[in-house]
Amino acid sequence: MTLHLILQTLQNNPLAAAIRGESDPIRLTTWFFPIIETFHVLSIAVVFGSIFMVDVRLLGLAKRDGTVSQISGEILPYTWTAFGCAVLTGSLLFLTKADQYFHNLQFELKFLFMFLAGVNMVIFHRGVYRHVLDWEQAARPPIGARVAGAFSIALWIAVIFMGRWIGFTTNI
Amino acid sequence: MEPTLHHWANHLAATQLSQWLLAREWIIVILQSIHIVMLSLVFGCAVVINLRVLGVSARGRPVSTLVPSLTPWMYGALLVLLITGTFQTIAEPMREFVAPAFWAKMTMVLIVFLLTAAFDRAVRRNRERWDSAASKPRGALLFAVVSLTLWIAIIFCGRFIAYTWNFYA
Repeated sequence: MTLHLILQTLQNNPLAAAIRGESDPIRLTTWFFPIIETFHVLSIAVVFGSIFMVDVRLLGLAKRDGTVSQISGEILPYTWTAFGCAVLTGSLLFLTKADQYFHNLQFELKFLFMFLAGVNMVIFHRGVYRHVLDWEQAARPPIGARVAGAFSIALWIAVIFMGRWIGFTTNI
Repeated sequence: MEPTLHHWANHLAATQLSQWLLAREWIIVILQSIHIVMLSLVFGCAVVINLRVLGVSARGRPVSTLVPSLTPWMYGALLVLLITGTFQTIAEPMREFVAPAFWAKMTMVLIVFLLTAAFDRAVRRNRERWDSAASKPRGALLFAVVSLTLWIAIIFCGRFIAYTWNFYA
């Protein structure tokens, strides 16, 4: 099966072996995975932290400082940069056990939740957000914004939970 | 003679609460996940504040409103981090107690929060000064660099507890 071949190739190559920390007499490569993983954690921390700042305004919970459009404009570049780093580091981690991760339930759910978060974002940006200047000064954001904000936080928390759970369900 | 840290770790591991937690891995998964969500809030706020102070993110809210609006979230998240961290330690005491990474991390957490609180106070006390178009006070730039470095080091140490503790057990 082609999929099986692809996954096997991804995990049976020198780069993947190095990140797994195999056959290294001085054991330096032992630390590659933890280091890459930590950069992954740093990246997702910025992704979630920044998304949270926007979502909290969509929910109407942090009005004191900055409107939705202001904050989005300021914060979202961080979000995308960090997401890019998360994808990069995540791909390197994936390489080490491509076959195992691909068939891991928590891994699959993580990507499902990310996909849904993306869908939520697209719907919001093409819908309610188009008229953001009309509603962002109001006392309470419209229902569409609040729903988008709530789904966003919930889905990204689910992504984090699934991501952490993967570590408990794969063999060393 | 058993080393002191090992002694206390074993003592704690023998308690009912520790055994109860350890028998339920799903609780530990949840504790760790909440820990990650909360550290994301803290680090996210720290990145926004520090990059703003360093002038890397040029536009946006003035420092005098930005800092006081974000620091409450950081303190709140810190509280949850301490709670989830405590329960994780109760569940697996040896892990934290013997790992140098853990002690380094907690020391740095203490330092960075003291620095953050001091900076927070300095900004609240003299808002006009922080918003002036002239370059930021040197202390602020130093704070931003030091605090970002500490946060990154804290997250490294946090992750490395898992990869290093068994060498010291």
